[in-house]
Amino acid sequence: MSATSLLVTGETGHRNRRRRTVGDWIVLAVIVITALVVVFPFLLILINAFKSPSDYATGGPLQLPTALHFDGIAAFWERVDFTGKLWNSLFISGVVAVLAVVVSVLNAYAIGIGRVRGRVPLILVFLLANMLPQEVLLYPLYTIFRTIGLYDNVWSVIITFVVIQSAFGTYLLASVFGTFPKEIIEAAALDGAGRWLTLWRVIVPVSRPTLGVLMVFFFIWTWNEFLIPLTFLISNANQTVPVAISVLQGDRLMDVTTTSASALLGLLPTLIFFLIFQRTLSRGITAGAVK
Amino acid sequence: MNARRLIATTGIAALGIAALAGCGPAEQESDGVLTLWHYEGENSAMGIAWNRAIEIFEEETGATVAFEERSFEQIRQTASQVLNSDEAPDLLEYNKGNATAGLLASQGLLAPLDDAVAEYGWDETLASSLQTTARYDEDGVMGSGSWYGVPTYGEYVQFYYNAEMFDEYGVEVPTTLDELEDAMQAFVDEGITPLAEAAAEYPLGQLWYQLALTQADRQWVDDYQVYDNPVDFAGTEVTYATDTVADWVESGYISSDATGLAAEDAGTGFINGTYPMFFSGSWWYGRFLDEAQHDWSTFLFPETEMSPGSSGNLWVIPTTSGDPELAQEFIDITLRPEIQAIMGDNGGVPVAASPDDLTNDSSVELIENFNTLLDQDGLAFYPDWPTPTFYDELNAGLQGLLNGSLSPQQMNEQIGSDYEAGLPASAGSSTP
Amino acid sequence: MTLIESRADATRPAVAPPTGRRRGRGDSLVPFLSGRSYWWYLLPGFALLTLIILVPLVWNIYLSFTDYRGIIAPQWSGLDNWVTLFHDERFWLSFRNSVAMILAMVIAPTVIGLLVAAALFDVIGRKFGAKLAAFLRATYYLPQILPSVIAAIVIGWILRPENGALNTILQAVGLGQFASNWLGAPDTALVSLMVVLVWIQVGYPVVIFMAALERVDPELYEAAEIDGAGWLRRFAAITMPMIRPEMFVVALTCTIAALKVFGPVYALTGGGPNFATIVPSYYSYSQFFQNQQVGYGATIATALTVVIMLVSIVFVWAQNRAERKERER
Repeated sequence: MSATSLLVTGETGHRNRRRRTVGDWIVLAVIVITALVVVFPFLLILINAFKSPSDYATGGPLQLPTALHFDGIAAFWERVDFTGKLWNSLFISGVVAVLAVVVSVLNAYAIGIGRVRGRVPLILVFLLANMLPQEVLLYPLYTIFRTIGLYDNVWSVIITFVVIQSAFGTYLLASVFGTFPKEIIEAAALDGAGRWLTLWRVIVPVSRPTLGVLMVFFFIWTWNEFLIPLTFLISNANQTVPVAISVLQGDRLMDVTTTSASALLGLLPTLIFFLIFQRTLSRGITAGAVK
Repeated sequence: MNARRLIATTGIAALGIAALAGCGPAEQESDGVLTLWHYEGENSAMGIAWNRAIEIFEEETGATVAFEERSFEQIRQTASQVLNSDEAPDLLEYNKGNATAGLLASQGLLAPLDDAVAEYGWDETLASSLQTTARYDEDGVMGSGSWYGVPTYGEYVQFYYNAEMFDEYGVEVPTTLDELEDAMQAFVDEGITPLAEAAAEYPLGQLWYQLALTQADRQWVDDYQVYDNPVDFAGTEVTYATDTVADWVESGYISSDATGLAAEDAGTGFINGTYPMFFSGSWWYGRFLDEAQHDWSTFLFPETEMSPGSSGNLWVIPTTSGDPELAQEFIDITLRPEIQAIMGDNGGVPVAASPDDLTNDSSVELIENFNTLLDQDGLAFYPDWPTPTFYDELNAGLQGLLNGSLSPQQMNEQIGSDYEAGLPASAGSSTP
Repeated sequence: MTLIESRADATRPAVAPPTGRRRGRGDSLVPFLSGRSYWWYLLPGFALLTLIILVPLVWNIYLSFTDYRGIIAPQWSGLDNWVTLFHDERFWLSFRNSVAMILAMVIAPTVIGLLVAAALFDVIGRKFGAKLAAFLRATYYLPQILPSVIAAIVIGWILRPENGALNTILQAVGLGQFASNWLGAPDTALVSLMVVLVWIQVGYPVVIFMAALERVDPELYEAAEIDGAGWLRRFAAITMPMIRPEMFVVALTCTIAALKVFGPVYALTGGGPNFATIVPSYYSYSQFFQNQQVGYGATIATALTVVIMLVSIVFVWAQNRAERKERER
């Protein structure tokens, strides 16, 4: 840990933690203003989701709605059976998030901590899943899934994304596990914990923030995927939220306000999920060994 | 794990699956349920009419209909895969044209319908120029060969104009090309851009094609659409179209901002009164009825027999359909006058209804214009049909023309070589 | 810290294994255990990878030598597709645009993300409370949770040439002469797309870097501040070394994403105006699904995959070198 090379005085007891300098305020201002710019498009979605179509046509996207109009949201919910789609998306994304993290941990344990032979080629082979453009997968996987009877089955999408997401997870965790303090692992080994126990009792708890981040990423990435679910989930009963949203975009006509409403509905679940897991992301490491 | 062995195993696995890929699924069992897919919105003219057709069908046959709404994009991307699997429906709506229905027909995924056509007399019901998109030869080129699809509505492109703005500025509805240009000039003089346009999507391409049609005959359309003879992109038709578009941009009739606008932007621009004129398809009609707060009306492009237009999308029956007879019966119901009238009353263009069947006066004009075109054999299809990628390529060329990165001649050369490159092998040119 | 362990790490006190044998390559970090039986842990991941990725990859390479419309069995056509590809100007144009994508999706977001993460952690988190820092982090991450189809619609409203939000704002503050047809003009379309991509991407490094910084004891920053180390000093001495493994991860994954970028291009510009924003992935997609020329699409996709693989290999190799140097220091 290069951080420990810094001289720590040890006198950490009586310090004013809230001494804010002018510089601190400037940093805050810059960060907040940028954040406002980042968030601006979301305000637009909010404004347009509650407009009537004629209201949008006369005022354009930037004006506030003249009256709150919930028909867009209600119509969309009814039309695509949003409840069912929500459940499908939740199920697929949730299962992928968990399984992909498990697969990533197993791979990274062997590569980062087990230091098996040929680590670099291995990492690269796993990364292939991330390197392949998705459109490459569509024709071959269609045939594979049709052959093994998984075409039009949510598990086809789940398996595919577990592989794609765990490629990233393997790479990140191998890198992080590589920096894992030896002392802790040795201590566990001296306590007689086997390899399996060391993984689950020592390594996983200590890496929890990173695993939390991975899980959030995997969930959200999977949720927003479009091409693969569109290709492999044929029945309406199996479809996901983004695919359902695309149903609104007809051959030649697109109703912007309903689309906005659907955007809002498509966005909310991931937003809620992210906010809940903010806490996971912020939970510091409790294992004292790193310090 | 050694690399050589890995490659060997995956190679063998790939070959094994590739071998399986060749064999398609068997025909499904008949189950007395008609599985039906289409992608028309519930409140569209087609959606309303077809819902009624489902009710009639269930009453008359005692069979049930399992309807699933699809998105256009979904059908476009996955049709060939779905129809090649056990998940195929018994009947679905599919896009007309060589690159879509033609391709699937040539690959053996669609059932030929010649017997059903003879039995139900659909060739009598449908005007002959609507039958072009229903028939495909073994290369998937429309216009000849077996029937593979049945159209049940029509579509065409015309001028929509804002009558209130025409009155306000004293502009008359034009009946000649010169009058059309004078009308647009009158608005430009008032500081108004007359034409709602979009070059990021189809509208400007359709106007460009319409301008070419003013100089063209049927033979040119056949050359362009079904490859009878090579098309000269330096010929009078194309050069006139491109030069005129460039002129109109120059004169301010079309804003060069159109390069960044989509059809939706142009349509809402007409609805909210930003633009007095919009040259676009009959598919907007119902929406303008619903949303436009001003008086508006329509006229066909002046001084020409032909306009962009065709039959609507097709009913097609997959080869694997378990209930083809039920599917044919349903198709026939959608062609009945009462169902066709429902379509017309809701802003659709029926193909088997006369204006007398309608109860809704506001749609009469729409159907009369369509019948005018039909009577003069004026449906000239769409500019993007000849090759699967020409839609993007034509839009790209027009965008280049509008923002000045391509001269008219350069644009014609660019789209000419794009057109050439995309032609099917059967058209006598090589393809990648 | 590294994917390849340097041979004999002199700077690190080697833990003498009880057997007295010298530790060689391939031994684990854990004493008493050799690296060998760790193979079992790779089994599930590898089995899945073979089915879902390796088989389609080989298949795709095979398809690039065939004429295939996606339905009837492929016809062998030898090198035809490859010859066409090398003379295909549009293909080369799409790769030139990939360079712009790397600028927009790798370099800019990493730099901005680094500064934002450091500011959030070191300044806002410590001085204004962790809650505010977490809230701001969530804000920066928002664009990441927006499906690109929807993002495209919203960005369309903002960049519209007529009554678009951006032009309206420019006119309001008297900069009307800068208003333009952002996505419709060839000289601004690519730049506008790049700005949008930065907006989409920036939340990803921010979140990853902040997770990395969670490993640091805030006391360190406190101590450094007491010792008079300014923000830059702290950034260089504490933040950067801490984030390094994640930096490589972010840079590589973003580079891969930039080379593969599809969604935003598909939804925002469709490769236009006049192919100014076409990228390889979109080009192969249009061949696969619009043209139904699956063989040629597979050729473009294979070429793209090869480029991505080469870039990744160079990256991972550089990462190892950097880390080995780090160790030997």
